[in-house]
Amino acid sequence: MALDLTLPLVNSIALGSLYTLMALGLTLTFSVTKIPNFAHAEFITIGGYVTAILVNFTALSPVIALIIAFISSGLVALLSDELVFKPLHKRGARPLFLLVASIGVGLVIRYILFSFADLTGNITIQTNVSVYPIARFGRAYITNLHLIIIPATIAIVILLHVIFHYTLMGKALRALADNEDLARVSGIRIYKLRRVAWILAGGLAGLAGGLWSINLLIDPNLGWDSLLRVFAASILGGLTSFWGTIIGGYIIGFAENVGIAFLNSLFGINTAYRPLISFSIIVIVFLLRPQGFAGLDIRAILPKVRGRGS
Amino acid sequence: MVLDQLYAITPLVTTLLTFYSVYLILALSLNLIYGYCGVPNFGHVFFQSVGAYVAGNLTANVMNFMFLGGGNICEIATAEARRNLALANPAIAMGFFILSLAVGILVGGFFGYIASYPALRLKEDYLAITLIFIGEIGRIIARNEASIACGLVGLTGIPNPFIWVGDPNLSLIIYTIMAVIIAAIIFVYLQRLSNSPFGRLLKSVRDDEIAAASLGKDIAKARGWAMILGSSIAAVAGVLKVFYAQGVFADDYIPLTTFVVLSMVILGGMANNRGVILGALLITLLDFLVAPSFFRLIGVEIQFDITYIKYIITGIVIITVLLFRPQGIIPEKPVETIGLKIARQNIKREKNET
Repeated sequence: MALDLTLPLVNSIALGSLYTLMALGLTLTFSVTKIPNFAHAEFITIGGYVTAILVNFTALSPVIALIIAFISSGLVALLSDELVFKPLHKRGARPLFLLVASIGVGLVIRYILFSFADLTGNITIQTNVSVYPIARFGRAYITNLHLIIIPATIAIVILLHVIFHYTLMGKALRALADNEDLARVSGIRIYKLRRVAWILAGGLAGLAGGLWSINLLIDPNLGWDSLLRVFAASILGGLTSFWGTIIGGYIIGFAENVGIAFLNSLFGINTAYRPLISFSIIVIVFLLRPQGFAGLDIRAILPKVRGRGS
Repeated sequence: MVLDQLYAITPLVTTLLTFYSVYLILALSLNLIYGYCGVPNFGHVFFQSVGAYVAGNLTANVMNFMFLGGGNICEIATAEARRNLALANPAIAMGFFILSLAVGILVGGFFGYIASYPALRLKEDYLAITLIFIGEIGRIIARNEASIACGLVGLTGIPNPFIWVGDPNLSLIIYTIMAVIIAAIIFVYLQRLSNSPFGRLLKSVRDDEIAAASLGKDIAKARGWAMILGSSIAAVAGVLKVFYAQGVFADDYIPLTTFVVLSMVILGGMANNRGVILGALLITLLDFLVAPSFFRLIGVEIQFDITYIKYIITGIVIITVLLFRPQGIIPEKPVETIGLKIARQNIKREKNET
């Protein structure tokens, strides 16, 4: 039987887009606040639940529900910073300390969600939006959802690029990410910007979670299950690079879906090993090139590829 | 009457105490690696699972091969046969426990040695993420590979080493006493270790690598040994858990367990074994009190899964301690060196003279 990669290909583009959206937020908070934020997972789940519950029980239009998901995840992210991370940061806590704190924040939010979902009988839920095929591509169907997820991701990426490079606020954010003390003495109001960064990061995660809940069944572990992949995407990009994260997100999407399809049909490897591909990529990247794609100089690599001396 | 009631709650008490010992051993070993040496080993549960899988596989496979004429270890019939074998032969039952403990320590240390490779090369927050990833890789392989502890189904029929006593509760009591003694031995060992020159070396590596290196200390070796020792001790916790639960279940070894253990270390006080005893006790009690089994015991029926509340409280504990008392309930104490003792005596003498 010939190996048909169309289905995994379509899946990897869709999932790659979602991973990218999630990872952008993680990269943003990491570069601005230096927190490897494990609570980022929970912002994804909140977005998923808000979307699903609003659409299923109040018959709100999915677009408005997604916007509300963006806002609510952003607000939770802001709240977690104001209550936990900012006080710790002001005391000069090291990144590892903040990481541990974010694990604590993540536990609290995740299990509040679990209790809520259990009490209302929604341990698993999927947003009721009719997903219908539009075109056929080999064995896979392109659905209307794909036509939303992929352009939306591209639009958001362009929008963020414009914000970061052409607005004063974006430039200030980049300055803050670069060097907090210098940003401060230049008159940048860092705590105001910090709030913007958290709302944006949480919001993007919530949006991705909302789209995910339309695509697949979700449960309160959604965020945690995707978190390590989101970290993988962000780490591939060097944890602080905008375009690196986007490439990383799609690489993880492709590696997991196309990669496992390859391994499954050629070597009979169980598809349950899917996460191992991205996890192994990360461990290898960390050990060999902790800075990820960031600062990868193509001119320095080409001679090596062509062979020594030529 | 009273005796009957005591008899009825025995399994509950032994479970509490055994789990306390298991958690305590885990927390003490994490404290050695993270608290004393500063290596954020947040994949710690993986090393516990190494001990658990070694104990389960070794016992089930070798028992089947040597005494029961082969057969699939995952089948209920062979699990029953292993139980009966252990019931009839005290030497075999206890022998396998001791063998598992020894092999578990070795294999755990070996994996600790492997995991120390990134520990020498990465920044601490990157390292924490990497170690979580490594732990997850191990868990996913173990969960899906049927040859390691029967995959998702779980491996059962790992007999309690004191099953031959006859009375099931008595064997539980003996096992629990042994678990507490093992935890106590490990505590005393780590307490002595942390006051030894090696313990001081670990603290110096944690506080200032460059200063330690400039004094001619081998940082890589110190970290490597902390990882090896910590992982082999964590493997002991895994072995103890398996022989008490009489089975290995892949889903027991999720990252959440590491975070619960981490909360014990942070609550009690990092780099302080006495604090960890207290932290482990408080979190284990929380684990025990906020559980469906306890609520059933006091006659309250609840409609939803109370374990969620437990994890919410664990998260709040982590946050609150970090925010308001980062040094933990019992802060780190200076190392008890001979010089410190003499200085204390001198101060006391001066006070008496005046």
